[in-house]
Amino acid sequence: MNLIIFPVIFYLLSSFLIALLWKEDEKLSGIACLSFSILTLISIISLGKHLILNERIVYFVGNWRIPYGITLMVDALSYIFLLVLNFILPIICWFSLTYIEKYTKSGYFYILFSLISAGLNGILISMDFFNIYVFLELSSLASYILVAFGLRTEELEASLKYTMIGFIGSTLILIGIGLILGKTGTLNIADFMSAAMSLKKVQLWFILGLFIAGFALKSALFPFHFWLPDAHSLAPSPVSAMLSGLFIKITGFYLLIRFVSNVFIMFPESKIILMGLGLVSMIFGALMAIDQIDIKRTYAYSSISQIGYCVLAFGIGTYYGYLGAILHFIYHSFSKTLLFLNSGAIEYRYKTTKIEELKGLQDKMPYTTTTGSIGMLSISGIPPFGCFWSKIIIIIAAIKSFYYGIAFICVIVSIITLGYFLKLQRNIFYSKKEMGKNEEVNLNLLMPMVLLSVIIFFSGLILIPELKIYLDKAIDVMQNFSYIEIMEK
Amino acid sequence: MIIYLAISIMFFIGIYGMMAKKNIIKMIIGVNIIGYAVNLFFIVLGYKNNGIQPILVPGVSIEEFVEKAVNPIPQALVLTSIVIDLSTICFLAALSIRIYEKYGTFDLEKIRRLKG
Repeated sequence: MNLIIFPVIFYLLSSFLIALLWKEDEKLSGIACLSFSILTLISIISLGKHLILNERIVYFVGNWRIPYGITLMVDALSYIFLLVLNFILPIICWFSLTYIEKYTKSGYFYILFSLISAGLNGILISMDFFNIYVFLELSSLASYILVAFGLRTEELEASLKYTMIGFIGSTLILIGIGLILGKTGTLNIADFMSAAMSLKKVQLWFILGLFIAGFALKSALFPFHFWLPDAHSLAPSPVSAMLSGLFIKITGFYLLIRFVSNVFIMFPESKIILMGLGLVSMIFGALMAIDQIDIKRTYAYSSISQIGYCVLAFGIGTYYGYLGAILHFIYHSFSKTLLFLNSGAIEYRYKTTKIEELKGLQDKMPYTTTTGSIGMLSISGIPPFGCFWSKIIIIIAAIKSFYYGIAFICVIVSIITLGYFLKLQRNIFYSKKEMGKNEEVNLNLLMPMVLLSVIIFFSGLILIPELKIYLDKAIDVMQNFSYIEIMEK
Repeated sequence: MIIYLAISIMFFIGIYGMMAKKNIIKMIIGVNIIGYAVNLFFIVLGYKNNGIQPILVPGVSIEEFVEKAVNPIPQALVLTSIVIDLSTICFLAALSIRIYEKYGTFDLEKIRRLKG
């Protein structure tokens, strides 16, 4: 079933075609990128039909069997990530059509946008250490460049910092891959697992440690977080939405799940480390977000806090913990994308994201105000919006595993989150009544935000039994699957 | 064994250059040294004393080939890794040119505006 390589092919095709043919024509390149992203979404949805019948889809590139060739695989877990990723990408692309007009050379934006998307899709389908590294670097390099796309002085500095830190993260992962190659002579994950039995525990721990450090750098967990607020707050808003909503989750969180629960299954105790990392970054991000003077910096620190929730829930390691981690990933991706697009709309109209320069937007931009409030309420965990359900499940998971302290901290951090978002809302949206004329942004910027808010409003429905079956399949992958099963076929 | 020690020393020299130096060009050289160290590490993984090239030519028996040929996988990987390093360093160099145009200096102490 070679339907699974289409996500990568479509996005690579999109970037090459735009680079060769349409990069001077700014309208056409945007429309090309949007249509390729919609094609990818269609191919992913039709892939779902096959996935309902089969447990997983494995594709041998060039028909070379394990361990000689590159193997691609999609199962329930990676399918959920693929679906969320490819659902959000066309929405961001739609928003960019208007937003990116203020930059010169916007054809180049779509080339890099397609490259990031191809890399993220590639990470989700590959089953080979070096393949994962190549796709990781593809998307990382494009994201370094996109952060500096505006060429303002602060953006250059943020991109410099981000590139250096990202390079160290990739290098740590590459050294881990090199050690795997040196000790077992293979790069295929399934083949590595059958060879790993002969390795010493210390060696495996060292490799896993390198991977965890590398992915923690990529996903900005606490001691490695310092590049994120600069990079995510200074990038163009659609890029911030993609980096915060999708990039750090897939390059960091998804690969952590895969490596800890499916590859290094002999070390269940490594989840304790993840629990600690998640807990610390959750608290730290929330505390730092309180006192920011820029909207996008608040959102960026909030991202650190929420990725901490995801990693913490995964680290708890029970059924409810896994369910909470997956749900929080889905809901937070949609909500954070909405919030960054929202700040992009404000920036598009008023050329600033400083909190003190924006006051009383509720009359001037009513739709932006409503959608922004929905996003903020969702992340702070107010029912019926998305993140309420995932946070309550994470708290239940902590209580069921007798981590009462962690459950208490989760509630406290959630209250702090509500606090700083209410403060932000009051300052920029609902402060003193200022009867200005309607300055709402146009439909191309508005519709993506409205679409995302509708999805967030109804996203609690994912927990009804008919849909929860598919989530349970993904959780079953996290609990019981090990790549060695593919080897035995 | 001594070569792995040398590689790790090289790696930490690179890390030192990146973290401790204040000049952007010196930091980029640090990045470059880290990249070289990792590439060298990969090459050493596939190295054999008196090895032959991993192509099966007439006149070489299978047993001799298996015993003597170097491992070709690390060499293939290093090519990819070199390209990635090259593009990262190109981008960093382009960035530093832009930064120099804006500030007139490469000193990170003087241009630091972000809090982190």
